[in-house]
Amino acid sequence: MKELSIKRDQMDRFGSRLRRKFFPHSDSSNSWAGRVPNVLTAAGLVKWGLRLVLLVGMLVLIDIYAPRFFRYQNLVNILLQASLLGLMTIGMTVVMIAGGIDLSLPANMAIGAVLGAMYMRSGGNWMISCFIMVAVGLVIGLVNGVAVSRLKMIPFVVTLAMMTVLSGSAVWLTNSLSISQIADSFLSLFEAAPIFGIPVTIWAAASVTVAATVVMRSTRFGRWAYAVGINASAARVAGVPVERVVLISYVISGLMAGLTSILLTARLGSASANMGNDGMVLDIVSACVVGGVSIYGGAGRIPGAMFGAVLITVLSNAMNLVGVSYYLSLIIKGAVIIGFIAIEGRKENANE
Amino acid sequence: MSSSQTVLRMEGISKAFAGVVVLREAGLEAHGGEAIALMGANGAGKSTLMNILGGNVAADRGRISINGAEVAIRSAREAILRGIAFVHQELAMLPTLTVAENIFIDDLPTAGLFISTADMRRRSRELMGRLGSKISPESRVEELSIGDRQLVEIARALRHQPRIIIFDEPTSSLTEPERQRLFQVIGGLKAEGVLIIYITHFLDEIFYICERVTVMRNGETVWSSPLAQVDAAKVVHLMLGVSAGEGRVREPITSQGEPLLRISGLRRAGALKNINFEIRAGEIVGLWGLLGSGRTELLRSLVGLDPTDSGTIFWKGKTEPGLVKTTPRQLHREVGFVTEDRRGEGVHLPLSIRDNLTLPNLKSLLNGFHLIDAGRERELANKMMGRLRVKASGQDQSVGTLSGGNQQKIVFGRWLAANPRLFLLDEPTRGLDVSAKSEIMNLIVDLANQGCGVLLVSSELEELIRVCDRYLVMNRGSLINELPGSASAGELMAAIADVGDENGSWS
Repeated sequence: MKELSIKRDQMDRFGSRLRRKFFPHSDSSNSWAGRVPNVLTAAGLVKWGLRLVLLVGMLVLIDIYAPRFFRYQNLVNILLQASLLGLMTIGMTVVMIAGGIDLSLPANMAIGAVLGAMYMRSGGNWMISCFIMVAVGLVIGLVNGVAVSRLKMIPFVVTLAMMTVLSGSAVWLTNSLSISQIADSFLSLFEAAPIFGIPVTIWAAASVTVAATVVMRSTRFGRWAYAVGINASAARVAGVPVERVVLISYVISGLMAGLTSILLTARLGSASANMGNDGMVLDIVSACVVGGVSIYGGAGRIPGAMFGAVLITVLSNAMNLVGVSYYLSLIIKGAVIIGFIAIEGRKENANE
Repeated sequence: MSSSQTVLRMEGISKAFAGVVVLREAGLEAHGGEAIALMGANGAGKSTLMNILGGNVAADRGRISINGAEVAIRSAREAILRGIAFVHQELAMLPTLTVAENIFIDDLPTAGLFISTADMRRRSRELMGRLGSKISPESRVEELSIGDRQLVEIARALRHQPRIIIFDEPTSSLTEPERQRLFQVIGGLKAEGVLIIYITHFLDEIFYICERVTVMRNGETVWSSPLAQVDAAKVVHLMLGVSAGEGRVREPITSQGEPLLRISGLRRAGALKNINFEIRAGEIVGLWGLLGSGRTELLRSLVGLDPTDSGTIFWKGKTEPGLVKTTPRQLHREVGFVTEDRRGEGVHLPLSIRDNLTLPNLKSLLNGFHLIDAGRERELANKMMGRLRVKASGQDQSVGTLSGGNQQKIVFGRWLAANPRLFLLDEPTRGLDVSAKSEIMNLIVDLANQGCGVLLVSSELEELIRVCDRYLVMNRGSLINELPGSASAGELMAAIADVGDENGSWS
């Protein structure tokens, strides 16, 4: 009898989870209400306090075990890495807010980089090469967007398949070799430090962050994206062009992939098929989840996602410095995502 | 299973959520073999009281006793162990599984390592048989009608040998035959000595099947007696504290206004057959027909939420005189549209009141940089909240936390900002309490008085009769009749009953 009741209890919880899948953000702290004016709600404080404590705790541990971390060179290095991860995280965040997911982001970035680099190898102009990288990203984003919004395909499956197609193509085009015949003026892009000694990459990521924040907060597209992510049919009744919003979200994601391919190619001094390896998707999704972006759509903010990108980068960097193996670091990062989803889940349970 | 008669007593139950008192010394008493109607307007505290009995919510104070013995119900699990079952309004089922699997999902009978399918099927058939149903235990739940799913839900409750079953608005999505069958089932359960607690908004139902009535208002129990001691008017009086006005909100008019909308030859296979009608400024047109007659489909087709095969929409142009041909998509931008599914399609529950109100109006709030002007946004939200008298702590409150009536005001408020000349309203008062209903009906009349045209769908005839100037009668996807605003309830019912036996077929 007792066993029966426990099962019953589990089923109830399963039911409430199902309900949450359909009404995922019945908690007002996740809503727009908490988004702009009153960030300092109790729930918000707990939510972000927790993240800050985690970051500070990590920094303290790093100071003890890997004091090299705080050298100037390493800090700049972290910001550079976080910028690149952050740009892609912004793309993912926009798609997630509108209720989708884009797993093809890193593969999109890699194929753009490879095509742009091949153009430079053949003696092409580096500026046109940048244009190629962005255009490739946009076109792939458009294809994803059309598949999801017009052909009603499931985002997870479409972008997973797209990821496979793109990685395959990149390997095939390059024979798994990296292309390092990159124009010098292109390479200097990355090291260029025009203002206050801060590299262009960081400025680029910062400006994109500001622009994306404004777009998601104060434009019609941004508002529509949240509305679609929360409830697409209610959005349609309210006159929101749902298909167009979903399409644009994937195009923005593609644009971010394109921008990242320019900056990452310049940073590495080469382009290769494994630039967008599987671990990168994990990092992007981790950054989103840690940054408070809901995988169910309709909730999350760009600055939060950027914070997530910094946190994940710090974590990776620190593990690297301490000498944790790549595989163990994957395990730890995976555990961090699961931990955050669990905490968010508990919080929602408490609010029910 | 005790053969002695169950006696449930809840006394002095108090509960406050975050300082807001929702139950004040509430209680009820009920006996096995009887059905007790638990009545009250939205927010009266019925749901909280039942959630306390069902172990979902803990009371701050008060006693619950069954057969004289005080019981503590600390969880839903304990409630089940004590023989209390809940049949919810929104059915929680696993649609892709079979009837038998749904009934036994929390305790699948096993033989060794495997599920004993034969045993499960046999026991499911027994349980369904007890409810007088012959649904095969092998059918998938997704293939069943709402009424049949509800029987499965009841069968699931019966498996735990309950002494007390709570029905929360069980008939709100049922067809008439399904409703009659449910009443039979409830009658059967009563005969077996089960105690039924019956929550509903439909007054007539309680006189069919209940022996006792308890009325709640503002968290208190205001009345408890055998049902024979009250009549419907008395119950309404007790629920509201005032007697409900049943008269017309506005006398029927014959609009002299200009035509706003003309529909010509609208068709969709399986749903709509050659629909033609016209709506003038200032009139309220009732679209009257039974559930499934095509009312909702017609409204949705007009604004492109459902597709159409053919047909033309003529709409009053902004500048040109007379009517101009338009598309459903274009019409959607210019009319106010209220869906029947308020929580699913009407509002964005987690969003704030402000964000809900401004969503369709963002274009008018853009500044020179094409960004949304936060100041004007707040202003618009304030204006609409004031105009509709929305009760809320402020425009940042999330719509999911509002009462149904206030949510519906937000839905109306969305469209009011754009001053549309036509409103298409599908069941705008569904699920609202009597006072919220009146507010919405008054709002509709206000809109018409200001010169808007209104096409109103409602399942509640008495509601249509209070406001309509004209009726379009619908049956099986066709407009079969048109009646004047002075038509009586009897005439309207006769209008759809006339063709009741005709074997119409879909074009």
